[in-house]
Amino acid sequence: MSRLQNQPTLRVDTNKPLSFTYKKKTFSGFKGDTVASALFSGGIRIFSRSLKYHRPRGLYSLDGECSNTGMEVNGIPNVNAEKTLLEKGMQVKAQNVKGSPELDAMGFMDSLDRAMPAGFYYRTMHKPARIWPIALQQVRKAAGLGKISPDFRMTGEFDEIFPTTDVCVIGGGPSGMTAAIAAAETGLRVILLEARPWLGGFFDYRQSEFSRDLPHYQRARELEARMQTLPNIRVFTHTAMVGAYSNNLVTAFQIGNEKDPFDERYLEIRAQSMIVATGCIERPLLFENNERPGVMQIACAHRLANTYGILPGKRAVFSVAHDLGIEAALDLFDAGIEIAAVADIRDNPSHAALVSELEQREIPYLKGWVAREALGAPLKSVSLTTLQGTFEKKLECDLLVASAGMTPVTGPLSMAQAELAFDQHTGFFLPKSLPVGVYAAGRLLGLNDSRAIEASGQVAGLSAALNCGKASAQALKDAQEMLAGRPQAERGCNLVMAPVKGRKAFICFDEDTTVKNIKQAIDMGFDATELIKRFTAAGTGPGQSGIPGHNLPLLVAQHHTDHGALTRPTTMRAPLVPTLMATYAGTNHLMSKRTPMHERQKQDGGVMRKIGVWNRARYFSDDFSCRREIENIRNNVGMLDATTLGKFRIFGPDALKALQRVYVGDMAKISPGKIKYSAMCNEDGCIIDDGVVVQRGENDYYFTTSTARAGITVEWIRYHTRYDGWDFNLVNLTDAFGVINLAGPKAREVLSEVIDADISNAAFPFAAYQEFTALDTIPVRIMRLGFVGELSYELHVPGSWMETLWDALSEAGKPFGIANFGLETQNVLRMEKGHLIIGSESEQRTTLHDVGLGGLWDRNKPAVDTVGAVALQQTENQEKRLKLVGFKMKNTRTPPKDGSIVVDDRIRGHVCIARYSHTLQEAVGMALVEDPLHAVGTEISIYEDECQGQLVSATVVPMPFYDPKGERLRS
Amino acid sequence: MALTLTCPVCGKRNGYEFRYGGEDKGPKPDDFGSSPETWCDYVHMNRCVAGIQKEWWCHRDGCGVWFTTHRDTLKNLEME
Amino acid sequence: MTDIKRRSPMVFPQEAKQVEKQGHWAVVMEYASEGEGPWIIDLSHRPRWDLQDSDLSRFKPFEIDIPGKPGQCRLENNVLANRMNRTQVSLWQLTGDRLETPEDTAFTSTMDVTVCLAILGQAVFSIAEKLSSLDFRDPALSTPRLFQGPFAHVPCQMVIAGQPDGMPGMLLTCSRGYARDMVAAILHAGHEFKLQPAGQLAFDKWVAGLA
Repeated sequence: MSRLQNQPTLRVDTNKPLSFTYKKKTFSGFKGDTVASALFSGGIRIFSRSLKYHRPRGLYSLDGECSNTGMEVNGIPNVNAEKTLLEKGMQVKAQNVKGSPELDAMGFMDSLDRAMPAGFYYRTMHKPARIWPIALQQVRKAAGLGKISPDFRMTGEFDEIFPTTDVCVIGGGPSGMTAAIAAAETGLRVILLEARPWLGGFFDYRQSEFSRDLPHYQRARELEARMQTLPNIRVFTHTAMVGAYSNNLVTAFQIGNEKDPFDERYLEIRAQSMIVATGCIERPLLFENNERPGVMQIACAHRLANTYGILPGKRAVFSVAHDLGIEAALDLFDAGIEIAAVADIRDNPSHAALVSELEQREIPYLKGWVAREALGAPLKSVSLTTLQGTFEKKLECDLLVASAGMTPVTGPLSMAQAELAFDQHTGFFLPKSLPVGVYAAGRLLGLNDSRAIEASGQVAGLSAALNCGKASAQALKDAQEMLAGRPQAERGCNLVMAPVKGRKAFICFDEDTTVKNIKQAIDMGFDATELIKRFTAAGTGPGQSGIPGHNLPLLVAQHHTDHGALTRPTTMRAPLVPTLMATYAGTNHLMSKRTPMHERQKQDGGVMRKIGVWNRARYFSDDFSCRREIENIRNNVGMLDATTLGKFRIFGPDALKALQRVYVGDMAKISPGKIKYSAMCNEDGCIIDDGVVVQRGENDYYFTTSTARAGITVEWIRYHTRYDGWDFNLVNLTDAFGVINLAGPKAREVLSEVIDADISNAAFPFAAYQEFTALDTIPVRIMRLGFVGELSYELHVPGSWMETLWDALSEAGKPFGIANFGLETQNVLRMEKGHLIIGSESEQRTTLHDVGLGGLWDRNKPAVDTVGAVALQQTENQEKRLKLVGFKMKNTRTPPKDGSIVVDDRIRGHVCIARYSHTLQEAVGMALVEDPLHAVGTEISIYEDECQGQLVSATVVPMPFYDPKGERLRS
Repeated sequence: MALTLTCPVCGKRNGYEFRYGGEDKGPKPDDFGSSPETWCDYVHMNRCVAGIQKEWWCHRDGCGVWFTTHRDTLKNLEME
Repeated sequence: MTDIKRRSPMVFPQEAKQVEKQGHWAVVMEYASEGEGPWIIDLSHRPRWDLQDSDLSRFKPFEIDIPGKPGQCRLENNVLANRMNRTQVSLWQLTGDRLETPEDTAFTSTMDVTVCLAILGQAVFSIAEKLSSLDFRDPALSTPRLFQGPFAHVPCQMVIAGQPDGMPGMLLTCSRGYARDMVAAILHAGHEFKLQPAGQLAFDKWVAGLA
């Protein structure tokens, strides 16, 4: 179809054709077309079939207020074709049809509407109950619109930005632009969001006069040019608002153009003031077959011609209730469409001048008439009636422009917590009250005069600026006066439905809900609009209430006697427009931590696992029992990267007091050159951490925590001293030091290759702490600890030196059989020693005494209100607590799974860890069990999942299992 | 997160930067430890004010300071 | 025989044009094709300290008068002092021969605690806007300015310095363990602006321009 030439409002570039495929044929459009406008220009009138009745659907709003043009584009379902810009090579397919939209084999469903009253699925398909699973299958097949394969992989670039601004303006029409300009002129930072790919709003496509010799579309471009001269306005087009939250947090998503490095991006904007200038959509006119292809809203028909250069039909009938309808009729007549009649619901139109222009063109103008039925699919004729139903008229046409008048776009306003109330004069839901920092402007206030619309934008912009501390009260007063001098909000049309029964008057297109269905719901006792919405499904489709949004509460209000006092649109929730999941996911950087030895360990065969935020090596072989690594440590020497351990410096006059507060031991009793092992508990006396403390100087300590607690320790200590006003300082050194655990009988020999000092057992015994220099250069803090039960050194080396020291130890250890070991090996070794890992051998409710560490608590240390002391005292002799015990399996070398439960006549505890120990040649483990089961010698029964009722037996034995005297680690 | 909180060191920030530290119950009263019940009440029981509440927050993702502020729990907004 | 080397947690694959041995560090002075900016520059080898005391007024670290309010910064003799809170200052020696850690126990060396990098160029704000909601462009704040808050979901210290219409820049430190993922996030965000690694020379020149 050829396009209208000489349209100065055209937004398509007829010099840039773009071809695409649909129904296995090649179609052509232009740059600037949407998929829908290009298909329409190619002759397509039926775009889809509706959800329930499979009724043919076509272009209606051109803004995606319904999902009539929901199609599959490039494999992605439910794409709204009328909002999607055409790109070369797109593959477009129809959805929800058996055959084609023109000849859908499911079309017979339309005649079954009597069998499907409102809410029929709630009442029919589960009686008797056994038919529901079958019904469910069938409903699943019939329901839904698009299809997607679970293997579908989304491609594209999805980005995100988090800008801060002073004023955020939603809507780039005339009032949005004047608001942005007014605010920006005071020097504030302004962000303006516009959902369409271009600015201009309802000025953009109109050649009617804004002022003498200045058509509306040119006025819009003037405003846009003015905005471009203000560098403090950031304009985002093709950016739809998605949500608004407290403290003026606005979310939106932007569709990228071909120059942008993203396909879509998510915006999260924090503003001081927010202006909603989202304008109006049309309130759909309800009559029989009001959703036939060929029935269009005013702006849809008008913009097809003026924005896209496409004639929406050959011969039209208009049934409107607003001057914009008359303006559109005049424009379309001048563009070449025959107009059979313009029926106007109002019998007192605002502008006599417009009506006289109809007369000049000899277009019949019917005051007080309205469409009652659209006939023919495709549309062939329309039946009109007077409002009182006294007379009827049938006119032939292929286009019916139908509209019950304008209605404000209230979604963004209500998300911004505006309170809406119905206004009788305008027929609009107007903001009755707005929260501080939120302002409204433009057509959505009911204004129709172009200058008034602009002036209201200025008022909003200056009010928003005043809220940010800029702009003078005087400037605002002047703007308000100017607004007051213009025509105020216009009387609107209150008609909801033509005088028809409504069996095929669709109040919601997406869900195929008719006015008859609404009446059925009301007859069943539903009275609240929210409940009627849910029961009939009206407004729950992808159009997100674009069609029924305001008609539904107005229709319901007609039935009620409260005269619409509580009439409100149903609650709007984010996202206000359908948004791709990929857009919400954004760039999704996964931030995790690595130790300096990460790459080296991987090269050495390390199998890495995530532990909280860290990546750590769990295994160094395919054998996850780690037998070789374990034996190597018991016999030779191994190296583990323990860098993730929490490490802290605490210093200052009250450092000791702070330590005493959080550690259960008496921290005053730290001997020089020795570590002190202690634990931290919470206020319930439950163990939350263990670690070692050394004193490095006067009021100067260095202490370690578990990996899991490293990130929270400073917070914990500050929290538990928040009322004291103590003078102490903390530095988190967790990342500052790499930690190398050198363990095994040959560890000393390896270490002496890099340390030139006396590290004999006499000079540097178990539990000692000393600072050395390795390789004559590297400062290293060394502790002798015994977590894995062998001679073992924990080397704390500055992170930037770690690789050098590690490599040196690896080399030095070769003759001694040195090898890496990972967390699983460490896990088994420490289990053999009965050493606990918090969170494994303890639960949230496990106290210090429960795990046998009550000895760490010094109840006599000077009173400092140690965290946990009260509860420790109250629970130490409590009965029926779960206690940590060691056990040995009977009659089997197979250990039970970690987490298996211990039972007798009921659950008595659980297995914390169990492994087959190659060292001991027995299956052993640790469990938390209730008394009386924790006595040594007790036989316990263990239930594993999937054990088919076969319990396994174990005996409680003393710990440690391995080297009970601790000779190995003290050697 | 839409909630904003005013850190005394860093100024007004996104709620996500903070960790909630509970209602301000003040330092321990003298009789706190008289029985496990009174101790548990002190540690765990909250008044759960429907209205303006004084509470502790930590600027975990920022300067790390612990501070108190007042928040209207019905609107989930910090008081100015 | 093992090389006695100190290593930065940031490594770029780009070809280095000039590398200088500074103590045990191998510092890239210049990469082969740095372009015009924006740049990301590794500063992990530069000395940094934490200074904490209940009475900071008794200190004048490296001859610098400590700024009075949290968020304020002072650059003197190539050392940047950032007031973090009532009792704490971070000190970063940006260029020049490495100073020793002062004797007073109030100082802790934090060079190994953090990764330190610079993002230089006009695009720094557009890059930062993708990774953080902090308002680095707040017109009410003067530079240099310290921000403590999340960047790519990681708590960081960030200093904004330089001329907004010349070459603005951000100096950033965060826990050393996050270096790899932080650099990856920044490079990803900076890709559309042609962010490239640059060496110490480009950074030294920028610092000289700050004075």
